[in-house]
Amino acid sequence: MAETAISRTAVSWTPRGAWAGIAQAGQIGAAGPAGVTATLLDGFGLATLIAAPGGTAALSGLVESRAGIALPATPKIASGASHDAIWSGPEQWLLRATARDGFAGLLEALSTQAAVSDQSDARAAVRLSGSCVRNVLAKGVMLDLHPSAFAVGDVALTSIAHVGVHLWRLADGPEGSVFEIMVARSMAGSFWSWFAASAAEFGCRVSTGRG
Amino acid sequence: MSGQSFRLASGGLVDRGRALSFSFDGKLYQGYAGDTLASALLANGVRLVGRSFKYHRPRGILSAGPEEPNALVELRSGARREPNTRATVVELFDGLDATSQNRWPSLAFDLLSVNGLVSPALVAGFYYKTFMWPAALWEKLYEPLIRRAAGLGRAAGTEDPDHYEKAFAFCDVLVIGSGPAGLAAALAAGRSGARVILCDEDFRLGGRLLAETREIDGRPASEWLAATLAELESLPEVRIMSRTTVFGLYDHGIYGAVERVGDHLPEPAAHQPRQRGWRIHAKRAILAAGALERPIVFPGNDRPGVMLAGAVRTYINRHGVLPGRESVLFTAGDDGWTTARDIAAAGGKIAAIVDSRPAEPARKALADKLGARLFVGSAVMGARGGRQLSGVTIRDASGAVTELACDLLAVSNGWNPTLHLTSHQNGKPSWDDGLQCFVPGALPPGLTVAGSAAGHFTLAQALEDGARLGREAAADAGQTPAASEPVPATDPETTALTPVWRVTGVKGKAFVDYQNDVTDKDVELAAREGFRPVEHLKRYTTLGMATDQGKTSNLAGLAIMAEQTGRTIPQTGTTTFRPPYTPVAIGALAGHHRGKDFKPVRLAPTHDWSKEQGAVFVEAGQWLRAQYYPRRGESDWLTTVNREVKTVRASVGICDVSTLGKIDIQGTDAAEFLERVYINGWKALPVGKARYGLMLREDGFVMDDGTTSRLGDHHFLMTTTTANAGKVMQHLEFCHQALWPELDVRMVSVSEQWAQVAVAGPKARETLRGVVDPEHDISNEAFPYLAAGTVTVGGGIPARLFRISFSGEQAYELAVPADYGDAMMRALMQAGAPFGITPYGTEALGVMRIEKGHVAGNELNGQTTARDLGLGRMMSSKKDFVGRLMAGRQALVEKDRPSFVGFKPVDPTQRLRAGAHFIGIGKATVMENDEGYMTSVAYSPHLSHWMGLGLIKGGTTRIGERVRAYDPVRNGDIVVEICSPVFVDPEGARLHG
Repeated sequence: MAETAISRTAVSWTPRGAWAGIAQAGQIGAAGPAGVTATLLDGFGLATLIAAPGGTAALSGLVESRAGIALPATPKIASGASHDAIWSGPEQWLLRATARDGFAGLLEALSTQAAVSDQSDARAAVRLSGSCVRNVLAKGVMLDLHPSAFAVGDVALTSIAHVGVHLWRLADGPEGSVFEIMVARSMAGSFWSWFAASAAEFGCRVSTGRG
Repeated sequence: MSGQSFRLASGGLVDRGRALSFSFDGKLYQGYAGDTLASALLANGVRLVGRSFKYHRPRGILSAGPEEPNALVELRSGARREPNTRATVVELFDGLDATSQNRWPSLAFDLLSVNGLVSPALVAGFYYKTFMWPAALWEKLYEPLIRRAAGLGRAAGTEDPDHYEKAFAFCDVLVIGSGPAGLAAALAAGRSGARVILCDEDFRLGGRLLAETREIDGRPASEWLAATLAELESLPEVRIMSRTTVFGLYDHGIYGAVERVGDHLPEPAAHQPRQRGWRIHAKRAILAAGALERPIVFPGNDRPGVMLAGAVRTYINRHGVLPGRESVLFTAGDDGWTTARDIAAAGGKIAAIVDSRPAEPARKALADKLGARLFVGSAVMGARGGRQLSGVTIRDASGAVTELACDLLAVSNGWNPTLHLTSHQNGKPSWDDGLQCFVPGALPPGLTVAGSAAGHFTLAQALEDGARLGREAAADAGQTPAASEPVPATDPETTALTPVWRVTGVKGKAFVDYQNDVTDKDVELAAREGFRPVEHLKRYTTLGMATDQGKTSNLAGLAIMAEQTGRTIPQTGTTTFRPPYTPVAIGALAGHHRGKDFKPVRLAPTHDWSKEQGAVFVEAGQWLRAQYYPRRGESDWLTTVNREVKTVRASVGICDVSTLGKIDIQGTDAAEFLERVYINGWKALPVGKARYGLMLREDGFVMDDGTTSRLGDHHFLMTTTTANAGKVMQHLEFCHQALWPELDVRMVSVSEQWAQVAVAGPKARETLRGVVDPEHDISNEAFPYLAAGTVTVGGGIPARLFRISFSGEQAYELAVPADYGDAMMRALMQAGAPFGITPYGTEALGVMRIEKGHVAGNELNGQTTARDLGLGRMMSSKKDFVGRLMAGRQALVEKDRPSFVGFKPVDPTQRLRAGAHFIGIGKATVMENDEGYMTSVAYSPHLSHWMGLGLIKGGTTRIGERVRAYDPVRNGDIVVEICSPVFVDPEGARLHG
């Protein structure tokens, strides 16, 4: 689905990401140095992989040979140079590619070992960092995200403000913990309503970026 | 009164450099930073602050804390008006605007105080007795009267403009209370490296240390306090939360707390909530909430100027306010004497010390030193004064009576441990005969109690408890405790006490429960009338109810009941405390979830486009769906819907169907799996074809329907109704995981991945032709009715096309990745423009499905079987499926079960109503004659009259018969004819066009 191949016969088939009309780059809430940074992720490829009965090892091997990461057996995220494998249930993962180029081909190859379902457009994703990031998340996440309780690479399926979320912790950044959150695309607006209200007191810088 | 004439020249923890202006009942006053509203009022000599609940008696300030029963005020005005705030815990801010409540027309002159004169009629149980009297009097007389006369403050009545939050916290050790015990506990746990949360309801940490003049390690306690706080603040894993009340203890070490983030400001700071409700998960918790002082029951004990002795010390030592010029102390123990000492130290005059205990030389010496007359073995038998105390009557051991003038009566009767949280899991406090108070009984798991809250009333005990329990809690939570350090020494203190529950042999109203105007006589009455168990006592007299929940009254009530019934206090019982400890605003519990944020809203990927088209939206479960798309000049929704329907039937229209559930089902046993969950067959469905499917619940009733397409040998795409998407997914997961784990079937929801649109009408294919890439043959021959396959649009964007129809027209559903949903709508509108294409919403969708007799949510209502809906023949007899057996139950296959047919009005001008019940013509409108009901109705622009679908006994065997459609709710009673449920194109020719 490379954009170059799109014809312009009828209308321009401009893709509209999950955050369109909901969130945009800028500053939310308190002015001054931002306590939270939100990067709206777009343009990533995403697919559900479900192993065949007894086929986890084979699938993991295939993913490793094609994308350079093994599938985590527990709620973890395994990150490679261009792909992440995110545990999403027993024998089930989300495979994320930083870019969509070549993603369809990869999925095609993996479909020999897994039920593959493209979800590239199904989620709104955001990366959160900053010195106050845990204070913001504490207003919605019912889990303990303290570094001693939620390690780098940990994944959780939980909810924020009644919106189901998939969240994980990436390697620390210069201001401490870094999290990513994915929500169902249809609920991105409600999620953002919660986030903007919760982050406002700390000041939040919003930017856009690649997944 | 102007000027802070009761403010001491120095001392206390107020900032005399920061004057704050505030108003009470419209009059302006000044206080200082660090004041509470109560301390600032006292500094200004304001004694009368409220009227009592029932008798409208003048009331003042009794306490200096959260237990305050009297000094309840309305805070702020307009939408921010908050009733029943306790002046004793309201932090003063510049511009604070407080109003007294429950008085009319004014606080000083309250006409309703005549209630006091008719008080014999208003005794305990009055409310209940009014029910017994002539019923006619209740609504007209008693209720309006009681409502006007009795009551607390007024709610704002308009929407709260402030924002509230909920938040979650986790810790190893939660310390509740920042007095000496809590501070010692937090320090010991914190030094062990534990994650500690220290909460205190006050805006200043220190608890009783702020109110007393004590010494720790030979230095003023304030120095120890400052050093301790500094160390706690330096520990990175210690979180200090002031202005935070831990109000409840719940299962599994979960505590509820409310943080008053902006209550001390005129309005919350920008981007800040007013309050934040916390759910704190604590591995261990230490309750160090201190104790609440007890009043004594004697006539006039509610006069403004009668105050708890410990509160007097708080006002002197913390706020620099001496709340009276001429004081009398009435004490039952040693603690009261500390108040006398502090009054004297502040330069106050002590007219008398009335000690209920026998003479003791040291006390006599001390009284002499303080310049006070001493009455031993004595009692205050009355307090007089209207709006403020003017004097007391003292009865000494010999029975001699002395009248003394005074404007402050400090009352000391010992303290009750603040053990409320220990009781929230149904734990019963236990009576300690030595201490003469209830102490915590069996404790909830994970909780220990330190200091006064445990009945360990001395400062030395508090420090020792805290340090020890803090270390233990940290160790229990998995930390390595730091080396224990010696507990610091304190100055000596004594706590001897012989409590006086009430002064007997006296006349006049003696209040047990100030807030509810319950007197000792009311408790006696309850005992006489048989309401003796404590729970009955509470309900009958209202003792212990309302905002203070009996913090100052419960024990005296129990003691008097015990005396009346010849039992001990523990034999009489105790009330079980329930959350919340102090009142919590609903906003703090709701947090973010109000208005449109009450629950999440789901928006389709085409939503913004529909909005741009002027769509009116309707809530469908969590979704907002376009209901109809009004155009200029269309005066009502029906005009719009009629146009949409006509355009579709005549030409082409598009309707978003992204909200339907979409489940990707793969695996070598996928077809077998579908065989088992659907009633009809799937194995023979060729790749590239769609089929309508119906699934039952295990009990044999219909669960959901939809089309499922075979995308590959081992790959299906199931669709569900919008409403049941989640439920069906759950059902399929259950079937797979619990019933048939041996099947290789793998499924995941892809509902969010695809933007899907129905393209319907005779010009549907021509419209699509302009959107689907030219290499795909979508001719009728190549892509007939019920074809399903992948195509591309826009020059290579992967898409799915299904030739399925809900409208009965030549129709397709086109699905593209959600990012392209918006573009897809624009492309279709452009391609369909030559045909006059229209977007249509759920209303037109509904009209067309009713015209075609398709069942939907109104018919799939959980009470209908496949047979009821005329779909019984879909049930395969060649296989087993979920619900098969139960669908065969006798009651579900009985001949006269109402079944599915159509209805039309005999008079075509008449409107049909869904919900109308069918009754034979000429028969009485009684339940026995009920034959079924109308499930769905719509106006058909095709037929130019209303039509309906419904369930009626006999169903299709009665076509042509007439019955009444009886709708008593809307005064409907019309004659309808039973007909085929398919009103348009019964042959289905249009589908295949």
